[in-house]
Amino acid sequence: MSCGDPHEVDCSEVLETVYLYLDGEIDHAELGRIRGHLDECSPCLREYGIEREVKQLVARSCCETAPEGLRHAVIARIRVVRAEMTSVEFRVD
Amino acid sequence: MTSLHQTLRARGGDGATIAPLPFGVMTDDSGLVTEDESVEQRAARFERDALPYLDQLYGAALRMTRNPSDAEDLVQETFAKAFAAFHQYRDGTNLKAWLYRILTNTFINTYRKKQREPQQAMSEDVEDWQLARAAEHTSTGLRSAEAEALDRLPDSDIKDALNELSDDFRLAVYLADVEGFAYKEIADIMETPIGTVMSRLHRGRKQLRTLLEDYAIDRGLIPAAATTDHEEGA
Repeated sequence: MSCGDPHEVDCSEVLETVYLYLDGEIDHAELGRIRGHLDECSPCLREYGIEREVKQLVARSCCETAPEGLRHAVIARIRVVRAEMTSVEFRVD
Repeated sequence: MTSLHQTLRARGGDGATIAPLPFGVMTDDSGLVTEDESVEQRAARFERDALPYLDQLYGAALRMTRNPSDAEDLVQETFAKAFAAFHQYRDGTNLKAWLYRILTNTFINTYRKKQREPQQAMSEDVEDWQLARAAEHTSTGLRSAEAEALDRLPDSDIKDALNELSDDFRLAVYLADVEGFAYKEIADIMETPIGTVMSRLHRGRKQLRTLLEDYAIDRGLIPAAATTDHEEGA
């Protein structure tokens, strides 16, 4: 995969690190190198744009609110665990 | 580091007989939880610090179990376990990651065994042609339009696509993209090496993207003519 133009950083290298780049898992120097490539290589930039879009879509679609009763159910459950803890001798090792 | 306090308090019987400690501080300057915390104080600390993650954990549980009823059970189980082990948690460390680790563990040990879903779809053997397909897209030169098309997909499509991924792929993608955990944190939560996390993210996202592109074509958001490579093998 290459746009055919010569680059300081090879297209394949950029595409391999696209997730690391998106996830903020590469160091500053590397970040600059990849960004520099994306600025001058439109096929890689488009590829990057798609991957970023997919990542953002996942974040956008997965925002949930717990059902009303769940909080109460959890608190009640904790109370049960608490009662067990106070009625039975336990040790902290 | 004495457990005497707690042992004595525990022997006190029901919660009402447990007197509050004469001081309200449960952490020292180094952020370490003192061992002098009563169960009641711990419960208060738990409700204050851990319970606010309810919605987030429910969201994750929903993606894991893929149904609301199991998700509620999983969240309850997770909070029960977390509270029982809360004396092991240390203030100042990553509470959210700690809770997610318990959630993941509980899911793997109970629900995943129970489910044995008929469609453990999108397994590794279908990966290669999908990767090849994704690679072909690069030459179509329609990326920007495609990104826009994907953006118009309804949230339900993205959830459906996520549900088609295997548990490990789906969870890795969820932890990275929804919760924004670092690879190291995901590795801790899923109890796998970082290399495995990266591999799961890579493969999971490739599969997800292919599915979303298919949905976009089905909805007419991407012209099928521009992506004829989708027709075969779909």
